[in-house]
Amino acid sequence: MGNIMTVIIYGVLFSYLLAGILYLGGNLKSKASFFKYALVLAVVGCVLHFALLVMRTLLTGMLPLTNGSEFLLTFAWVTVLIYLILSYRYEIQAAGGVVMLLSALMVFVLIALTGGSLHAVAPLMPALKSPWLTVHVITAAVAYSAFTVAAGLAVIQFFPVGHGIKEHHMNLLVKCGFALLSLSIVLGAIWAEQAWGRYWSWDPKETWALITWLIYAVYLHLYRNREWRGNNARWMVIIGFLLVMFTFFGVNYLLPGLHSYA
Amino acid sequence: MEHVRKVFKFISSMKTGLVVLVLIGLVSAIGSAVFPRTFFETLFFKLLLLLLLLNMFLCTVNRIRLTVRSLLAGPGRKVWYRNWGILLLHLGIVFILLGGMMYSAYGQNNRIHLAAGERVNMQRVLDIEHSFTLQLNEFRIEFNEDGSPSQYVSEVTILEEGQKVKQVAISVNHPLNYKGVKAYQYSFGFMINAEYVAEDGEEKSGSFVEGALLQPGGTERKVKIFKYIPNFNPAHGMNTVTLRPDNPRIIFSVYEGDKFLGVGAAAFNEPVEIDENVNVTFTGVEPYTVLEVKHDPGLPLVLAGGITLMLGVCLALLTAPGRKSNNDHR
Ligand code: HEM
Repeated sequence: MGNIMTVIIYGVLFSYLLAGILYLGGNLKSKASFFKYALVLAVVGCVLHFALLVMRTLLTGMLPLTNGSEFLLTFAWVTVLIYLILSYRYEIQAAGGVVMLLSALMVFVLIALTGGSLHAVAPLMPALKSPWLTVHVITAAVAYSAFTVAAGLAVIQFFPVGHGIKEHHMNLLVKCGFALLSLSIVLGAIWAEQAWGRYWSWDPKETWALITWLIYAVYLHLYRNREWRGNNARWMVIIGFLLVMFTFFGVNYLLPGLHSYA
Repeated sequence: MEHVRKVFKFISSMKTGLVVLVLIGLVSAIGSAVFPRTFFETLFFKLLLLLLLLNMFLCTVNRIRLTVRSLLAGPGRKVWYRNWGILLLHLGIVFILLGGMMYSAYGQNNRIHLAAGERVNMQRVLDIEHSFTLQLNEFRIEFNEDGSPSQYVSEVTILEEGQKVKQVAISVNHPLNYKGVKAYQYSFGFMINAEYVAEDGEEKSGSFVEGALLQPGGTERKVKIFKYIPNFNPAHGMNTVTLRPDNPRIIFSVYEGDKFLGVGAAAFNEPVEIDENVNVTFTGVEPYTVLEVKHDPGLPLVLAGGITLMLGVCLALLTAPGRKSNNDHR
């Protein structure tokens, strides 16, 4: 199965990359056909990506959320899925390029980190065997994905092509992401309490997740205020996304701590 | 009176709250990068959290009035969910901060080491009112097929006034929770059993910690027990291949005075010749468990706060009306 998975992950990468480029091309040339092909490619990539997640689940007998690489794989997939679902209902294609390229970047980083081999299986260490941990990680993955799509909308709104996007849709994504991140942080604390005896120990991952949570909380409060909408709100959503990235990559791969189980 | 009102209004205002939130975010970022760990123990940081608590407490109290009014006025169902959600979510954070403060003020932690058969009176390690004793019956490590650990288990008996109350297994992710005391599987270690003839000619057998120095009779040489390696492979040096005892060895070194003579890896029950006719035999190991014990009177409040926060955030944000209603500005 290992070889097939390697082939599929490259397929996913190229589908997303091409979809992203076509979306951007559609923005520049405002050609509806570009958007159509881009959508097809994004859907194909998303289906292949899903197949990969299923294969990984069959291989390990666990949801693909037990280490940093699996988390990244799931995170990138949910990002595309959220984008596709939203773009079905709302006019947000203008952000397709940014979102697909971000997803492609995540898949690329995953390949770079694992060398494209997704078939390594290692048993879980005892501390990671907890249903709390499972929901903690699922909610984190979906929250991060919602923030990623929100950032995609925020970026493109700075350009004329993005002016058709409603700020309200970005706000919707941030609200969902914030609710899920709140659940994730609380559930993670419950897990940490059971496993280590401390619900909060200010380890770098916890601290940075809290900082991320705080910036989105500030965004939500200020959003009631007209003068904080528009560019200010967009900047906060983009900074929030960068904090999400730092919480994930910076802490997992740069700083040591309990959470660096990758 | 007017001044008091103004101060109250300032402390409880959302603007002040947001400034405090941003401040906490900023100093946490700097603190975690520059002084990891210690920064969050400082008085400065605790004062910031206290300020947040005060602000959120007051604004939540204000919010209760508003929410009750909206309940009575009976606006749309979505606005109702939203108002209750916002109230619960802030209340949850207040509970968590209060519970955390209770831990800072009254919480206690300690660690206990127990070998099979040993017991400890909990009042010896924690300042608690209710007395009970924990006795370790067995500590074991369970393994996966590849030799990696799948679980660490301490089988313990709880005794009160010498009477057995109950028997429980403490393992990772399954702590003991008994009368306000929680005990967690924290770590473990091994005592090493050795036999030799002591200086007075007595046959001696005992359990020793890693690093212990043995002084057998009939020689000037000493034996230092360095380390127990459950699955020894010279290619891995002093690191065990897996935790499973597939090839157990005791690493020891021999000294004469201060002079280092050599190092060896002894199998169990295989006499090691230290000097002419002087032997030391390692007969096995005895595992001990390390439990983290904790008494945290704030824990129920923190848990209640966490649940309230989760509930509130879902109510407020996931059921919110499609467009922001601007009539509930405050
Ligand atoms: C620091 C003191 C705080 C004050 C004074 C405060 C005050 C308020 C007020 C008055 C509202 C009502 C907004 C409205 O009616 O539209 C609100 C909403 C909200 N607050 Fe806070 N809050 C504080 C801290 C926090 C924190 C720490 C969080 C979470 C991290 C938070 C999360 C929220 C959320 C999610 C909403 C709903 C926002 C929306 O749906 O637009 N608040 N807050």
